[in-house]
Amino acid sequence: MNVTKFAIPEVIFGQDCLAYVGPCARRNGGKRILLVSDQGVEEAGWVEKVIDALDDEGLSWVYYNTVDSNPRDFQIRRGAKFYQLQRADVIVALGGGSPMDTAKGIALIASNGGEIRDYEGANRIQRPLPPMLCIPTTAGSGADISQFAIITDVERQVKMAIISRTLVPNITLIDPTFLQSKPEWLIIASAIDALSHAVEAYVSSISSPFTEMNSLKAIETIVTNLEAAVTTRSSRSLTQLSTASTVAGMAFSNAGLGVDHAIAHSLGGKHDVMHGLVHPTLLPAVMRFNLPACEQKMAVIGELITGQKGSDERETGLMGIAELENFFNLFAIPHRLRDLVPDAQGLPEVCKLAVQDACVLTNPRPVTWEDCLQICEEVW
Amino acid sequence: MNKPRTTLKDLIGIEDVKLGFFQEAQAKMEELKASNRKLEEKRQEVEAILDAIVDVLIVLSDDLRILSVNNVYHQLFADQAPEGKYCHQVFHRQDQPCSQCPVLSSLNKRTVCRGQGIKPARDMNRSFDLVASPMSQGVGEPNKVLLFMRDVTREKEYQLQFMQAEKMATVGVLAAGVAHEINNPLTSILGFSDGLKRRIPRLESCVEPGILEDMREYIQTIREEGQRCQEIVQNLLTFSRPQNSPFGQVDLRRLVTDCLKIIHYRLKKCPLVNVELNIHSAQPCVYGDEAQLKQVVLNLLTNALDALSGTGNLQITIDQEGEDIVSLEVEDSGPGIAPEYLEKVFDPFFTTKPVGDGTGIGLSTCYNIVHAHAGRIYVCSEPGKGSSFRILLPREAKRKQSAAISMLHGNERE
Repeated sequence: MNVTKFAIPEVIFGQDCLAYVGPCARRNGGKRILLVSDQGVEEAGWVEKVIDALDDEGLSWVYYNTVDSNPRDFQIRRGAKFYQLQRADVIVALGGGSPMDTAKGIALIASNGGEIRDYEGANRIQRPLPPMLCIPTTAGSGADISQFAIITDVERQVKMAIISRTLVPNITLIDPTFLQSKPEWLIIASAIDALSHAVEAYVSSISSPFTEMNSLKAIETIVTNLEAAVTTRSSRSLTQLSTASTVAGMAFSNAGLGVDHAIAHSLGGKHDVMHGLVHPTLLPAVMRFNLPACEQKMAVIGELITGQKGSDERETGLMGIAELENFFNLFAIPHRLRDLVPDAQGLPEVCKLAVQDACVLTNPRPVTWEDCLQICEEVW
Repeated sequence: MNKPRTTLKDLIGIEDVKLGFFQEAQAKMEELKASNRKLEEKRQEVEAILDAIVDVLIVLSDDLRILSVNNVYHQLFADQAPEGKYCHQVFHRQDQPCSQCPVLSSLNKRTVCRGQGIKPARDMNRSFDLVASPMSQGVGEPNKVLLFMRDVTREKEYQLQFMQAEKMATVGVLAAGVAHEINNPLTSILGFSDGLKRRIPRLESCVEPGILEDMREYIQTIREEGQRCQEIVQNLLTFSRPQNSPFGQVDLRRLVTDCLKIIHYRLKKCPLVNVELNIHSAQPCVYGDEAQLKQVVLNLLTNALDALSGTGNLQITIDQEGEDIVSLEVEDSGPGIAPEYLEKVFDPFFTTKPVGDGTGIGLSTCYNIVHAHAGRIYVCSEPGKGSSFRILLPREAKRKQSAAISMLHGNERE
């Protein structure tokens, strides 16, 4: 590809930048805000903080929290109805990937009508969306940056990817302070999700210098800081994680992903597996599968992680993958697929669905559902 | 579901941008502009229609306050900011609505109501036909009234003049009939009294001188009174001549004496009124229509007698104003005219007489007749001392004389 494209929202980053949500909403024409979040975020007290910030700005608001860890199409439908009924304007999403994807879905249906499945795939949105502000509370999903929204079609039991530049939020406010109160497993899962974004975007067939530099920056930062962030929770290391997640989002939103995410989406749709926990099991195996197609890039990653060069690019790449596995083993998270999925019988179906996922398109090596199954069995 | 598969090109999406509302807003703005233009055209059209209406148009609230008026109102009436004021205040300077107000009845009956009224316009009293139609904005009770006021002053004036002329013509025809009927017996009376007179000398020898003297005197009286009758009849005949008779030389001295003869009976009823006729012109002849001028003089004399109500001086003066103009002045020592009425006395329909006594058309007719003679009429009055009406008439039908009168006396009514 000779011509590339790089699109991201306005990024406001820094401690306590949450305070700017009021003015940002107002500047985007907000008078009555729809705030989308979930119970976990509520319990942490963040919802109240955002509401206070909106009140301070004199904006009225309505609150929607029917959000699951894998947002469902009917929740979107209900949210869009609520948005129209309440005559809301600007949408503010607060939380991890789920509230943000829900917010994107609501924005889409509220302005374009129809059902989410009508927009599955790339560039099917015809009309503009209401202004969207994202406030990610986890460092990983990248939904606050990306042009993707992943919504579950309950009937078909699939995660649909809706891809459109119009889904890129207007503003993302990234406040690392949020990570302070997150449980350890969530910080780890989010960071590894971000890491997998960075790796897959880096080797993507449509990566560009703009995405590659972001990918490498994210890989390096996560590998260097995650352990310290979990153990010390220092604001410096948490800020690093937030930065890494954000730049990884910039990378994958513009370069796309690969087989790892295709399978993860498929597993999420079928078995409601927590998305961030899939990657530690799958990613090394996927990297090994892709290695022949992108030895040079894998070598760059390997050298970045290990700080060493092997005898050739392939070896350097393999060293990096091994080191990555070691890195994952540092954390108390599931390391085999069997820990996440009840039984292996459903895997062929999962893999057949996975190869239809849009993420497969940018995978550096062509892949069949049998390939996918082999990967899954490898990490079972 | 059968959807085109997503491709790499789709993912990169070079041509797919974050959709904004700009195009939509722009299209909306174009739409609004177009509809605004249409509305503006419509508004201008409606305004043009309203402006083209030659009647006064007033929108009134249900408590008779003026909400808006059209151009014609501003042309006709002096109060240039009537909005917010009560209609009866603006037009009649009264605090209460007029009786039989068509606006009120249209509100009550919720239907179009008509009426008539005389309103003081800038220049004079004008007579209007009124049409009040109730208006309601959207649904609900009518709470406004659209009042049309059509200026019918001229029509009214013509109508009254026509009626007057009709009346005069009828009187004329009757008078002519009576005159002819009387003329024949009068001729006999005068003829036979002449015969009697001729035969008197033959009676000298057979009748007592005293009785003869009485007979001479009686016959003389019969002849004189008969001649007077003949003159009166003659007068009536000239008065009843058809209107628009050609202009000619009119002797004002004779005209005034004729008029005095016509109102002789009235003068006789007012023994305390002292009538004086002064003529300072050797040849007080003017160019005009004798019957019409007679109407003017009769009018002035009747008005003066009305003003005197039985006692006082009535002075008629005929004089020379330069070589070409003759003046005729009728002066009374009555109560005079209040200053605020002075400039209205020649307005049609203006009258101070009680309803039934006067139509208010008399002096305005005089004004029109004098003007038709290229003359001028002036009024001059001081309350308590009396009034004088002065007419200037040219001796000959030439424009320059009329101009000369203007030069000599400036504007009328001053």
